Amino acid sequence: MADDKNRPKAASDFIKGDTDAAVFLGNPHIDNLMSIVIAIGAEIWADRQRSRIIEHLLDTKGKVTTKMIEQFVPSEEQKAAWAAERDTMTKRVYGVLARDTSAGRPFGEPFNNK
Amino acid sequence: MLDRRTLMGVSAAVTSALGVLTGRAAHAKSEPKVNPAGTLAPRGRFGRMERLANLDLESRQDFLMSFRTWANSDLSRAALSRSEVILAGKGLKKDADLTQPEAVALLENDPLIATSTRAWLSCQQLSWNGLKEEFENNSDKYLSELEAADKMGPGTLELNPSYPWPDYVKHEIHIQPGGYVGNEFAGHMYHYGTNGFYTGRNHNDELHVGVANAMPLPKDGKVLRILDVGTGIGQLAMALKERFPNAEVWGIDAGGPMVRYAHLRAVERGLDVNFAQRLGEDTKFPDNYFDIVTSYIMFHEVSPEGTKAHVKEAMRIVRPGGIYYPLDFKLTGAPKRTAYGHYRSWWDHRWNNEVWTIKFRQNGLPDLIRQAGFELNEKEPELLKGFGILNATKPAQA
Repeated sequence: MADDKNRPKAASDFIKGDTDAAVFLGNPHIDNLMSIVIAIGAEIWADRQRSRIIEHLLDTKGKVTTKMIEQFVPSEEQKAAWAAERDTMTKRVYGVLARDTSAGRPFGEPFNNK
Repeated sequence: MLDRRTLMGVSAAVTSALGVLTGRAAHAKSEPKVNPAGTLAPRGRFGRMERLANLDLESRQDFLMSFRTWANSDLSRAALSRSEVILAGKGLKKDADLTQPEAVALLENDPLIATSTRAWLSCQQLSWNGLKEEFENNSDKYLSELEAADKMGPGTLELNPSYPWPDYVKHEIHIQPGGYVGNEFAGHMYHYGTNGFYTGRNHNDELHVGVANAMPLPKDGKVLRILDVGTGIGQLAMALKERFPNAEVWGIDAGGPMVRYAHLRAVERGLDVNFAQRLGEDTKFPDNYFDIVTSYIMFHEVSPEGTKAHVKEAMRIVRPGGIYYPLDFKLTGAPKRTAYGHYRSWWDHRWNNEVWTIKFRQNGLPDLIRQAGFELNEKEPELLKGFGILNATKPAQA
């Protein structure tokens, strides 16, 4: 936040929630890992988007600069195609989280797959 | 349409910017400028929504919207299926009549169900934190934009941060950092954070425009003054102004940073809407002042005591024959909750900080509206598909 205490303010005091302390997966570090793998997906998608834009600019303009990338406005066709690619990536990478765990075994339980 | 980023720049001099903004405001009533596809214009806008400041942030938020959608569909369906297996294991049918605590105790420790909750919440936290980082790390630029617009018209802005706000408005609803009152960039974060909720229908305030266009009129057709209570960032208030351009339109909200951002957007769009940081139960308006009083998905964020006071205040400020339409979740005719539905409702309340939603469903809002003296029609019109219908009229003799 800006360090200027004299700036006009609109915010006032609030009641802090406790969701940061929530543990769902039995160990807070495993919960953290879930956040990490989702965050990594976001980082990968950011690079993927950038790559698509660079490819398009090189194809159509023959050159590319950071400014050209940042200012690029995709067409409706590109938006639709990239959204489909994004959603496919989400399903492909994270789909395993939705697998049926009814037959799951705890760690350390003897293997008994007769 | 003003382009605040181009006009203000980083660390813009507010005095200079005021002059620039003032000079441009007269031309701002047109539809938003949309950059031609394939061009190399400044980052510009998607519809009415200014694009985020850099491609990486925009892309990360875009991905999180996709992940949230997937978590709400495929992952949630898997958790639902798992809940049915658990119920069957206990000799219970899918539609077993469980209380919420019974359903939560039965389901919350299952690994797949817990994973679905964890994944959704992690996504929500990542989205808020990414936005908070951008706005707070570049606070000088964003505060300069707000300060430049604060005193500009055509509409007015009233802030009351030192008002004795009740505790119920101070929570971090939807785990938004600082909630609606406690962070200077609450309005910014809310606007971009709700992209995940609206999934592509937020760039032009699509749902708000639809609600405004479906809003019923008083029988005499007279609409001179409109109030949107709990206006947030003013999306419905501005949509109502577009439908009723000659009406005096107000949007009030307990969140000072929310209405400040709403005012900035109204200035950019040249819309004459007045925003004020006020409580819905203490609006400060005269008796019988408004032809229409409405709210957009607000009441489930209000305490039971606040709800009663809101309805009483609405009865005071709506004129005889005027309309009161508080849009919110469906209360009448909603399907029976499954065990998994109970569980989802619980974690949304407990961990997504939907502090008042469970009590909202018990408040009897339709009865409160009738008891206040309104005539209530719960059949038409439907403002938003799947949401509740609370079309109330203040009797002419009231």
